[in-house]
Amino acid sequence: MSSKPAARLSMTQVLVCGAAIVTVSMGIRHGFGLWLTPITMDRGWTRETFAFALAIQNLFWGLAGPLAGGLADRFGAVKVLIGGAVFYAGGLVLMALATSGLAFTGSAGMLLGIAQAGTTYAVIYGVIGRQVDPAKRSWAMGVTAAAGSFGQFLMVPVENWLIGSWGWQNALFVCACLALAMVPFAFGLKEPKATEASTAYPQSIGAALREAFAYPSFQLLTAGYFVCGFQLVFIGVHMPSYLKDSGLSPDVATTALALIGLFNIFGTYVAGVVGQHWPKRYLLSSIYLLRALAIVAFVTLPLTPWSVYCFASAMGLLWLSTVPPTNAVVAQIFGVRHMSMLSGFVFLSHQLGSFAGAWLGGWLYDRTGGYTVVWWIAVALGVFAALINLPVRETPIVRAAPAPA
Amino acid sequence: MGRRIVWWTGALAACALVFAAYLRPDMLFTLATAVWNCF
Repeated sequence: MSSKPAARLSMTQVLVCGAAIVTVSMGIRHGFGLWLTPITMDRGWTRETFAFALAIQNLFWGLAGPLAGGLADRFGAVKVLIGGAVFYAGGLVLMALATSGLAFTGSAGMLLGIAQAGTTYAVIYGVIGRQVDPAKRSWAMGVTAAAGSFGQFLMVPVENWLIGSWGWQNALFVCACLALAMVPFAFGLKEPKATEASTAYPQSIGAALREAFAYPSFQLLTAGYFVCGFQLVFIGVHMPSYLKDSGLSPDVATTALALIGLFNIFGTYVAGVVGQHWPKRYLLSSIYLLRALAIVAFVTLPLTPWSVYCFASAMGLLWLSTVPPTNAVVAQIFGVRHMSMLSGFVFLSHQLGSFAGAWLGGWLYDRTGGYTVVWWIAVALGVFAALINLPVRETPIVRAAPAPA
Repeated sequence: MGRRIVWWTGALAACALVFAAYLRPDMLFTLATAVWNCF
C-alpha cells in the first residue's frame, strides 16, 4: 500500500495570513500606553486603575496561552483565531465603553489578554509547524515574528494619529474593526484534514504534558524564556524612568523606543534565518549572552544620547529574536501535534518573567533608590540563560512505538 | 532574484517611513508625554 503525502497549505498562503494576523494582533496592543492619559482624565481614574488592567492583560495572555494552544491543536487553529479576533474586537469596544475600574479590568485586562492568547505566536506557529516543511520552518517563523514586530512598530504612530484625529473612544472602535479584519485571514489558515498532525505520534494531552515537563530540554527552554520576558519588560517599562533620572531629555527615550522597534524587525527575521542553518541552542545562548554584554556596556559606560541609541539598536536586534528559535526547538523535539499548547506553556513562563521584570524593577527602585541592582540582575539572568540553553537537545524525543491497532 | 529585491526594497521603505513618523516633532512630543506620564 502506498501512502500519499499529507496535503498542505501553500507556504505563501500560511506566511501571508499568519503575518497579517500577528501584525494586527501584536500591533494594536503595543500602543495601549497612548490611551493612559485620555482615558484616566476622561473617566477620572487613577493611573493605577489603568496600569492594573494592563498587568492583568499580560497575565491572562500568559495563562490563556496553553488553553488556546490546546484548543487550536485539538479543533484547528482557524476556530481559535476567529474566537480570538471576536474577543479582541469585543474587548476593545467594552474598553471604550467601560465606566468603572472593574469593567475596564474585565475588558482591557481579561478579555484582551485571552484574545491575544488566541491570535498570537503560539497558535500561528502551530499552523506553520504543521504546514511548512521542517527545512524552512525556522525561516517561516522568523518571517512571522518579523511581521509581528513590524505591527508593533507601525501601530504606535497609527494609534497616536487615530486618538488625535478621532478621539480616544472612536480610536478604540476603529481598532475593534481592525481586529475583526483578522477573521478573513484566519480562514486562510484552515488546515486540510490529512496533515502531519493527524498522522503524527498518537498522544493524549496529559501524556504530552507529562512528557514535556519531565524532559530537561523543555525545562531549560522554559527557564530561558522567563529570562527573556524579565529583560524585555524591565527595559521597556523602566528604561525611560532610568533615562529621566539620569537627566536625559524625553526625546531620547522616545527615539530609543523607536530604534528598539525598528531593529526588532530585522533581529527576529535574522534569528529565523540563522536558526535554519545553525543549532538553535547556540543561537539562543548567543542572544542571551549578547543581551548581557549590551547591558554591561550600557550601565558601565558614560550615559549619553548616543550610548542610549546604540544600546536601543543592539537590544532591538535581540528583542524578540528568541521567539523563532525557541518555538522551532519545541517543534523539533516534540513534533507538531501538541505544538501550540506546549508553546503556550513556554510563553506562560515568558509572561511570568515579564511580570517579575516590571514588578521587581519598581520594588527594588523603591528600596535601593535606583535601578543599578536590577540592571545587574538582568545581566546575571542573561548569563544564566546563555548557559542553560547550551545543553538543550534539539533532536526529536525518542518514544516507544505505538501499539498496533 | 528580482522579486526578492522588490520585497526587500518595499520592506525597507516601509520601515523608513514608519521610523520617520516617530521622529516628527508632534509625535516625539506625544510619545515623550505618554512615556513620562507612566512614571
